[in-house]
Amino acid sequence: MNTSFLLFALLNPLFALLAAPLYMALIRKVKAYAQWRKGPRLFQVYYDLKKLMQKEAVYSPTSSWVMRFTPYLNLSTLLVCSLFVPLIFVPEPAGGLGNIIVFLYLLALERFFTALGGLDAGSAFGGMGSSRSMSLAAVIEPTMVVSFAALAFVLKSLNLHRMFALTAGTVLPISPTLVLVSISLFIILIVETGRLPVDNPATHLELTMINEAMILEQTGKNLALLELAHALKQFLLMGILINTILPVGLSTEIDAGKIAVSALLFLLKAGLLAVIIGLFESSVAKMRLFRLPAFYVMAFFFSALTILIEVFA
Amino acid sequence: MIDPLFLEGIIKILFVFVLISAGLIISTRNLSSVLTTYTVQSFLLAAVSFLLYLIDGKGELLLLAGLTLASKVILIPYFISRIEEKIKIGRDLHFAYLEPTTSLLLSIGIILLSYTFLSKVFEDLPLSKLFFFGAVIGLSLTLMGMLVMFSRKKVVTKALGYLSMENGVLMFGLFVTELPFIIEVLIIIDLIILVMLTTILAVGMDSSIEEYRQKFRKLQVWTGVESQ
Repeated sequence: MNTSFLLFALLNPLFALLAAPLYMALIRKVKAYAQWRKGPRLFQVYYDLKKLMQKEAVYSPTSSWVMRFTPYLNLSTLLVCSLFVPLIFVPEPAGGLGNIIVFLYLLALERFFTALGGLDAGSAFGGMGSSRSMSLAAVIEPTMVVSFAALAFVLKSLNLHRMFALTAGTVLPISPTLVLVSISLFIILIVETGRLPVDNPATHLELTMINEAMILEQTGKNLALLELAHALKQFLLMGILINTILPVGLSTEIDAGKIAVSALLFLLKAGLLAVIIGLFESSVAKMRLFRLPAFYVMAFFFSALTILIEVFA
Repeated sequence: MIDPLFLEGIIKILFVFVLISAGLIISTRNLSSVLTTYTVQSFLLAAVSFLLYLIDGKGELLLLAGLTLASKVILIPYFISRIEEKIKIGRDLHFAYLEPTTSLLLSIGIILLSYTFLSKVFEDLPLSKLFFFGAVIGLSLTLMGMLVMFSRKKVVTKALGYLSMENGVLMFGLFVTELPFIIEVLIIIDLIILVMLTTILAVGMDSSIEEYRQKFRKLQVWTGVESQ
């Protein structure tokens, strides 16, 4: 463990944790503008989180330890995940952190426990959400594996730190196939964070809920932790996409000035991506549950194509 | 003078976008989105042709880029969008033989097949990697267009499938053979006639002559005036 990595381990999760909720709010704001509304203030999310933190948690009498444990597990899993995705500077690789397969499994762990938490309270909605989420996970998982395999194939490494060290600072994507992979990554970002057309995060409507249904029974501090974990997950997936397709300005050295510039640039690029996500969400309608595999197959198609092109061309 | 290697890099990125557009044409159900995708695809081909002109300096390529831009990016999409307005059908929801999901998976196979086939054919030819890649994409685009033609039910989508097939031929022609310019012009004229025929047929494929005349009179596709 070297100093560069220690600094990274301190800065990166902190940066992600602080900035993540902002982008949830930004997407909401863009959607509101697209509908000719003003929408809540950008910092409203932080106030909401603060308010929830101060409230007591209420548990259903049928719930077990799973419900109490899930929020803490989710947030800590995603904090560990944030060690895998360099956002502001790329440290020297250390201790096997950054491995893409471990990253995927950590995300799967988080998903699994969210589903268990949904089942735990014993309400009909939670069970429905968990069942939907798990059946969709079964379809998206192979696609995700293939997409990340394609990414690993193009950048010749299984380690996210090494991948970003390779792309860092370039203006054009270093390989045309990265454009293809980034489309798959975008679809994965949409699916994993439960956005339209897969799931509608803005409603509590029985017909459309997937993610919201699972956390419907959570209250107070636990709900805040889950919301924060969700925002963090979105921010990290956005980070992977940004550092793959537009890594301009990403620093590979430890230098206060460079890190500041890199962090600022990252915030700007993430802002741009959030606007794109918001506009994308405003322009599509919620898909029927059974039509969703067609959406995932797009991601699969582009990733498989990437591997084909990389192998042959 | 721009660095040819940089231009080749951009052409490769455009290739990727051409493949993306082909995937979208296969899987989109909304007719106007299919048309937009086709327009973008044709524009990409015009751009590829123009970039090749910048590398090679052959005047024909520039003419071809201009011709593609005028006919496939402006004229044909304009005609088809008029048809789409007239027939008042927004989506193509019915598929024959293959669902879009299956078609997409199949097209992965098509690309693999074109690659294997072409690598056998061009084994002895001194074709550069870029040109070989272009040929593979051209051939796959042609076959993927065919896939659209037989898996869709609406005439307009079938016509767009055919047009995208021709885009594949154009791409293949750009990178492998050197078609004389006059043949390209003839192909474009062919396409315009095809689109006109589709316009006429699309409104009355399923009716008898009398019904067809009535429908046609009602629509007034060519004059653009709705008659009573």
